[in-house]
Amino acid sequence: MTMAALDANTPVMEHEDTRDSRRLGLWLTFPAQILVLFIAVFPILMQVYISLTDWSPLDGIGWWQAHELWNSFANYSDLMADDRFWSALWRTVLVMAICVPCEFLLGLGLAILFVDDFPGRRFLYSVLLIPMMVVPAVAGYMFFMLFQSGGPVNDILSFFYGAPVTIAWLSDPDLAFFAVIVSDIWQWTPLMFLILLAGMVGVPEDQLRAATLLGASWATRFRTIVLPRMKTIIIIALAIRVIENFKVFDNFYIMTGGGPGVATETISIYIYKVTQQELIWGYVAAVALVILIALSVVSALAIKRMSREVSQ
Amino acid sequence: MTISTAISRRRLLSTAASAGLVTAVGTPLYLRPGRARAADGLAEGMVGGPTGFDGAERYQYGPDTPEARAIEAIKELKGAGKAPERIVLGLSDGSIGQLTQPFPEGAPSIKELWEAETGITLDIVGVPNGQEFTKVMQDVSTKGGAFDIYAVEWNRLGDLAETGGIVNLDEYVAAHKPEWDDPERGYVGGEQGVSLLNNYRGSTYGVSLDGDFQIWNHRTDLFNDPTEQKAFADKYGYELAPPTTFKQHDEIAAFFHRPDQGLFGSTDLRNQGWGYTNWYQRFVSMASPNQFLFDDEGKPLINSEAGINATQEYIDSLAHHSPDAISWGWPEQYGNFASGGAAMTCAFSNLPKFLDNPVNEGSKVTGKVGSHLPPGREIDGKLIRRTVLWLNLSASVSSQSAYPEASYLLLQWLGSSRIYSWMTANPGGYFDPFQLSNFADPLVRQTYHDYHMDVVRESVARTVPTINYPGATAFHNALDENLVAALTGSKSAADAMADTERQWARVARRVGEDKLVEAIKANKAAWPTITDPIG
Amino acid sequence: MNRSLSFEIFRYAAILAIVALSLVPTLWMASMAFKPIAEWSATGADLTWWPKSPTLDNFRFLFGESSSDLIVALDRTATQPILASLLAAIFGTLIAMIAGTSAAYGLSRFGSGGNLPLALIQLRIFPPMAVMIPVMIMWAFLGLIDTWYGLALVYGIVTMPFAFWLMKTFFDDMPREIEDAALVEGCSRLRVFWKITLPMMRPALASSALFVFILNWSDYLIGLLLTTRDWVTIPVYMASLSSSMTGQLYGAKAALGLIAAIPPVVLGIAIQKHLVRGLTFGALKQ
Repeated sequence: MTMAALDANTPVMEHEDTRDSRRLGLWLTFPAQILVLFIAVFPILMQVYISLTDWSPLDGIGWWQAHELWNSFANYSDLMADDRFWSALWRTVLVMAICVPCEFLLGLGLAILFVDDFPGRRFLYSVLLIPMMVVPAVAGYMFFMLFQSGGPVNDILSFFYGAPVTIAWLSDPDLAFFAVIVSDIWQWTPLMFLILLAGMVGVPEDQLRAATLLGASWATRFRTIVLPRMKTIIIIALAIRVIENFKVFDNFYIMTGGGPGVATETISIYIYKVTQQELIWGYVAAVALVILIALSVVSALAIKRMSREVSQ
Repeated sequence: MTISTAISRRRLLSTAASAGLVTAVGTPLYLRPGRARAADGLAEGMVGGPTGFDGAERYQYGPDTPEARAIEAIKELKGAGKAPERIVLGLSDGSIGQLTQPFPEGAPSIKELWEAETGITLDIVGVPNGQEFTKVMQDVSTKGGAFDIYAVEWNRLGDLAETGGIVNLDEYVAAHKPEWDDPERGYVGGEQGVSLLNNYRGSTYGVSLDGDFQIWNHRTDLFNDPTEQKAFADKYGYELAPPTTFKQHDEIAAFFHRPDQGLFGSTDLRNQGWGYTNWYQRFVSMASPNQFLFDDEGKPLINSEAGINATQEYIDSLAHHSPDAISWGWPEQYGNFASGGAAMTCAFSNLPKFLDNPVNEGSKVTGKVGSHLPPGREIDGKLIRRTVLWLNLSASVSSQSAYPEASYLLLQWLGSSRIYSWMTANPGGYFDPFQLSNFADPLVRQTYHDYHMDVVRESVARTVPTINYPGATAFHNALDENLVAALTGSKSAADAMADTERQWARVARRVGEDKLVEAIKANKAAWPTITDPIG
Repeated sequence: MNRSLSFEIFRYAAILAIVALSLVPTLWMASMAFKPIAEWSATGADLTWWPKSPTLDNFRFLFGESSSDLIVALDRTATQPILASLLAAIFGTLIAMIAGTSAAYGLSRFGSGGNLPLALIQLRIFPPMAVMIPVMIMWAFLGLIDTWYGLALVYGIVTMPFAFWLMKTFFDDMPREIEDAALVEGCSRLRVFWKITLPMMRPALASSALFVFILNWSDYLIGLLLTTRDWVTIPVYMASLSSSMTGQLYGAKAALGLIAAIPPVVLGIAIQKHLVRGLTFGALKQ
């Protein structure tokens, strides 16, 4: 059972050479452990420390001297009142709530269309994967051009509408939000499609054939045989996109810089701007820690929930 | 200058030169061209400078000039073993060409000349435009030590000085006498100009390498077209000419605004990070001689009738902009102007150098660009026209540099009136003229065009400095955010100004009121008082 | 599954519509890459879909030749950024795959590192932006700023969770009997892992590696913060492709974007036959 292993306490088959095995196991996990510690320990300790101070690189003292600017929990109380932070957080969740389902449904639909063979399948399949291969930053520049008021998107719309369309996509808060979402869906639907198709192809043919012989309709077969079989893979696909989407930065930042105003400012862009422009790094550390704690709780709960769901 | 010091300097020069020769054995590459040039090119009485093209003598220097003193001092340092093998200069990507590309034909590049004269390698590290300050802060805060010299926006000098990341240059200025305030060749405004561009709280922290005065341009082919002139006069009842007031500006822009033909009325920027410079012009011209941003006690003055009106105007002017104005930065603005997409625009003073340039085959406006003074307002029978100094790269020596004096000397050499004129004339980069000698220089005038240079010079006299006190970044960010919110319609002009005021008060508290009041006063002293007659 | 003719028509129509839509940005990039500057305009009125006079100038320009149109010459050609991206992404992928795979095996077979599943998910879920201040300081302290190996190390760490999770699902799913049989025959554990388990895992390894490579290759933010000059990566370098003569150098950007798509595409083709099987996450063969 695959996802049972999500549970850290997976029982392991015992061998007679238990001690050797254990040693080997430790050695095998050692590099990963070291790397995790390396990237986690210092940054977290440092963030905790400076998050309790007013430290900014503008103060002209090193971070280790930040205690001279001790402010107790002022950063945290500021955070509670920082509308821009909360709205960026909310916007990030909103982006996720729109992008991930759209990508999933599109990907699932495509996977259904591609699950059995038809002439041109291989070719079209490869073509559909192309967006995944385009570097997101490059995609950002391309979408910036596409969404100019005299750009290709409006040109296509004009063609269908029959009259010139000159929508200024990136200058309007709502339309800009729409535009960055389109770019995200464009870029990542192929991944969903790829994973879901892989899952669908793996469903045993004989079961389907048996069900067909029993007279089950296509929809019934899909619902009763394919979907339950794909449960795990659907969860994995969604989890990957939720995780990655939460951090979205590249194409958003290049297309709009988080603007106009803060209309497309996600949490990563917010932190980037506060870090690079306002330089209030003590405050940024507090933001980072709050996010870290929140994400840890959410991910721990989600994993627990997922492993229960899946092992049923 | 007494005779004895002159002699000692000359003697010093010769010893230093031989010392230079010895050190240069290890680096023959730099020695050979340098000697060749020194042998055949320099004009009578000159000790250094570029050679190999007509008029090169204008950029050569005799003994006892800031340039010569810098080179001498470097050689002295080398003799004492206190000079580096190379100096690392962090620079905006787009400006590097001015140092590395030879100009004009037959000349060495600035980099080659420096290396030939001093034997010190000039290592230029490109930084993407707009990321200058970010990269510098990374270097300062991580103690990365990747640069000897930073080039950042002039506004950030205060912020940067407060970090302790850059060196106080007073000692070197006193020792090597850069003569920035030379009344004939130096900065516009003499000592006051120097203090505005290079100083923070009375000490030198930077060396200006730029002249980012925001200058207005228009299309002469449109303005001089008789059909247009007639149509305009019929419609508005006065002659079509470059506008003198914002009212005229808005009317002319509206007149030329023909988006269906790919022509916009005016494309002065409206985006985040850049647009507020154009708000500035509308705001500071609201009173005679100036509408200040802060009063003398450090209280913001923007949440006022003047502020709200200027903001409303700024928003309304979107009507004759590109619909994409809010997402356009200068690259889009320049690209659009080059393709003939705008009747007027306000840009860095280098726009004609790049776009009205026969070499630039991509430009459709070559020979069709004109410049005009900033539009203004009629107040008390006088015309108040104001523009702003904004961005303007200035170079500072990193505190992490092991050779601060040598680094400073490079800047003294580079930023002095002769070398700088030669450099700014080079069309390969963004550095713009700002010294009196630059404006008068034939080569600069050729690159930037006569019609433009005179307007620039007059605009400089009407230029208001943007915020350069500590907290400048935070002040501008707050203003910027609220203006963009107003442009996108998510805030009213009044709310935008009220919110900016509130945020400014918070920034002021953080910076420290007394420090701020002092800096505001220094800044205000540099504001122009010139007014123009009406009509 | 036999379906009706109307379904077939619907299928082709739907697929072709989606393919067409999804191709627009890519085709725009491809066409832009071959356009001379006069046809770039995405801001003016005259929009060009296909290059009227196709040219390779944009590509030449990237590698240091100035063309008649682009009178500016690059101070840094695209060669070094391409090399930087390749080195950082390849070694980052190696680090992630080696550490991730061995850890996955260790956990799956010997139950070591029970903390890793959650720790690695948290590592992946956390926005890199939020830890970048300490990482920058740490990297500067270790002298890793602006080095390809410093970048590769971060890449390896932040993508290791993917390698770990993907590989773990496969190891969990692999029948132990095969390994056990080999053990009984007297092979050492390590030898079994090397000679029997890993070869069986080839599809999984290949698709995980492709995945991890694409993630590393795509990065913009980390490169932006941890490199300054010599080892600037392609996406970071992209920002310097603008000039005051012409504004944004869209053609050059598109050309570089096209070049940047080559490694993932080549890798993707190379492992194509493993791709579908490799991405089932071992989740189906129950």
